[in-house]
Amino acid sequence: MKEFKLENKPKIESGFKTPEHYFENFSEKLMQNLPANEPKIISIFQRRKKSLMIAAAILIMALMVPILYNTTANKELDEATLENYLSYQTNMTQFDLINVLESEDIDNINTTIALEDKTIEDMMATNPDLELLLNE
Amino acid sequence: MSEEEEFIQQLLNPKTQNEAFQKLLLAYQKPLYNHIRNIVLNHDDTDDVLQNTFIKVFQHLKKFKGESKLFSWIYRIATNEALSFLSQKAKKNGISSESLQNKTIDNLKSDPYFDGDDVQIKLHKAIAALPEKQQLVFKMKYFEELKYEEISEILGTSVGALKASYHHAVKKIEVFIIAD
Repeated sequence: MKEFKLENKPKIESGFKTPEHYFENFSEKLMQNLPANEPKIISIFQRRKKSLMIAAAILIMALMVPILYNTTANKELDEATLENYLSYQTNMTQFDLINVLESEDIDNINTTIALEDKTIEDMMATNPDLELLLNE
Repeated sequence: MSEEEEFIQQLLNPKTQNEAFQKLLLAYQKPLYNHIRNIVLNHDDTDDVLQNTFIKVFQHLKKFKGESKLFSWIYRIATNEALSFLSQKAKKNGISSESLQNKTIDNLKSDPYFDGDDVQIKLHKAIAALPEKQQLVFKMKYFEELKYEEISEILGTSVGALKASYHHAVKKIEVFIIAD
């Protein structure tokens, strides 16, 4: 086996070469490419734009919550609530109701009810508005 | 203010930046090319990595705190870029970094930018058989002729450990060449 000592030998070069004028062209090319890579203002702006859009989306959704809540609340209003409201919370009187009714509506209401004379008498005695209605 | 601090100020000042960066480029492109080429071996890959290295240096200059020397900071970036390039390339080809390296060495003979003979190819093969850290130390000391103190700053390893690494590397290479 022959002796081989790396340190005793003349130095072995790596053998790597570069194309002709490589470094001249390289520095020129790189300097031209630098400004394009440099402006960070754009990237910051884009990042801000993104966060602004996220904030806007959240705001819109937050604003939509009460609207959605209200519309669902409206749907839940049932007949009984409406009736109670009309009877206790408004200034609507029987006269107003009568004025609103069409003759057709009155015909519909006008059904024969079998009533004892005594019941009619009692009603007339207890309902003070009845006299006014009869006058109409 | 030291000369280096002054130079860094020029690099950060938008008015003097371009001129200063050109100066940096001229001073570092050749040694960095050799440093990267010794790691990635092929010219085209070296060209890519060298470009990325300078662009990274340019972009991160603001973050350079002056804790280490500009020289070792730049070399560190180049080393990291070259090593991560290699592992990405190996991953893309679905092979280990080691077999990628051997494949690249086999292709060196037909590389127009390699004028070495069989001895040189054998040396590159012997180096490729070493652990990664020993490879780096050997290449930086033997081919690039950097001082142990400089290598120590770049790799963050003590001078004593580097000397031991280099010594082991030389021994293993000698054994490899005789055996082959």
